[in-house]
Amino acid sequence: MMWRSGSSGGSDRFEYLQTLVTEFQDTDSDEAKEQVLANLANFAYDPKNVEYLRELQVTDLFLDMLTEENENFVEFGMGGLCNLSMDPECRDVVLQSDGIRLVTNCLSSRREETVLSAITTLMNLLTPVSRSQITDPAILQCMLRFSLSESPRLRNLATVFLQDSCSEEQVAQAQQQMEGQQMAVGIPLPKD
Amino acid sequence: MAAPVNNSSGCWRVPEVYKHHEQRRVCISRPKYREGRKAKAVKVYTINLESRYLMVQGVPAIGVMTELIQLCALYGAVEEYRPLDEYPAEEFTEVYLVKFQKLTSARAAKRCMDEKSFYGGVLHVCYVPEYETVEDTRLKLQDRRSYVIRAAQKRVREREQKEDTQEEPSSSETTTMSDDNILTHKQTSGNDNTRETSNVSHYLGFPPLPLPPQEHHYHRPKSQHLPTEDKMGTLHNTCAGTFEQREGSSRSKQTLSSRQAAHQAAAVRFLPRTTHLEKRKRKMEEAEEPSSTVSGQNEPLIGPKLPEPSKLEMEDESLNTTVSLIRTTMKQVTSSPDIKPVEKKVKPRRRI
Repeated sequence: MMWRSGSSGGSDRFEYLQTLVTEFQDTDSDEAKEQVLANLANFAYDPKNVEYLRELQVTDLFLDMLTEENENFVEFGMGGLCNLSMDPECRDVVLQSDGIRLVTNCLSSRREETVLSAITTLMNLLTPVSRSQITDPAILQCMLRFSLSESPRLRNLATVFLQDSCSEEQVAQAQQQMEGQQMAVGIPLPKD
Repeated sequence: MAAPVNNSSGCWRVPEVYKHHEQRRVCISRPKYREGRKAKAVKVYTINLESRYLMVQGVPAIGVMTELIQLCALYGAVEEYRPLDEYPAEEFTEVYLVKFQKLTSARAAKRCMDEKSFYGGVLHVCYVPEYETVEDTRLKLQDRRSYVIRAAQKRVREREQKEDTQEEPSSSETTTMSDDNILTHKQTSGNDNTRETSNVSHYLGFPPLPLPPQEHHYHRPKSQHLPTEDKMGTLHNTCAGTFEQREGSSRSKQTLSSRQAAHQAAAVRFLPRTTHLEKRKRKMEEAEEPSSTVSGQNEPLIGPKLPEPSKLEMEDESLNTTVSLIRTTMKQVTSSPDIKPVEKKVKPRRRI
């Protein structure tokens, strides 16, 4: 299944990716780990590699990175997941591994790239089954706050999330809840 | 708490210097087995970072905006462009914002133009997704998603085909090293079998003639062993001419010839800086208006002559015609005398 055609290219690629994963697991150097992680995340951008990466359980590797202290690990792992999770089979692996919770936690990262990757990944993970979890009011409120951010990228992505993932009623409800909470503390929301 | 949102027409905001604009240090500590052909920084590219909008820094402030946009147009249709006067720039350089019609064009332009020398300066090209509108972002994600899903469906079909027939898949199905999927978003799933364009073709998207852009689906010939991505997972910059190695159909040859011709034509204009500056000085002394082009055909030439573009002999007559047509067009464009200095002209801006 790994070699799609008669050419030896497929096996070379698989072996190369395997070597990367092995280095990642064996090395003690954080610097080397970061490099390899970034490589794998970039390979994940090409759908041709997705099947190999899945077989090598790189999806799980990326998920494991989300709870690391090293912010580069988190950022690169989240980027890798953002790239992989568009593929339906990888998406399912992530969903089965408690991915929504892990990715949601990344929404509070200080790193903008991490947050952007997390928002996109949540959108990728949307299925009829996962929708209710992903459009949880807490997440919607988070997206509402992001949609008011100074950062255009964050604003845009959060807006797309709100417009495409849930109904207007859900958004309005989340907004009301948010205002209710804010008013209770005496901090009014900015009015547009 | 939150600043009021300024969502009005994205391009015309005061630009901020974002972290992703910065050129990071290249990584020098990679072990050999995963060293790429070109030293690169440690960076992860996702669909969020890529954009149809590019920012080009380091453009020498000698009135070469037209040339810059012509260079960009080699990689795909340019929808809009403008100088970013407000953006911090090094002395004697300018910064430009260029919006491509397609993400694939922007990607190719970024890969091929970044770190390239241009009229004595070195260009730094980066994506600037902050200039996108909400709709731009949405479409970008949608395109990417449908492309990935199509690729996945194709894989599933191949797998089933293999299981059913228990023989090798058809020869025209993709080999594993192809990087076409990275660069073409709008492929049609049935047509994969029939196209054999060269690796170079999708850096162009289409020949630099006034034809409607066409998406080429790249198929590497089976005999190709080299990975198209480098060992770091990023697409290697193959613009420098590794395409000689490729075999291909006549279509690939055609795009190849246009590419080579365009490259030649572009290369002719990459003069050494001192020669260029002296030439401009002469022109300013002789003529009223400084010309922003490189043509010296109308004046007595003093000093070293430009190298003649080498005669490119293609094997096919039609290809020769194509090459000479491109050359003629480039000559016509570069020899137009009335290009005013950019700063004094108010460019009509195309609305999308």
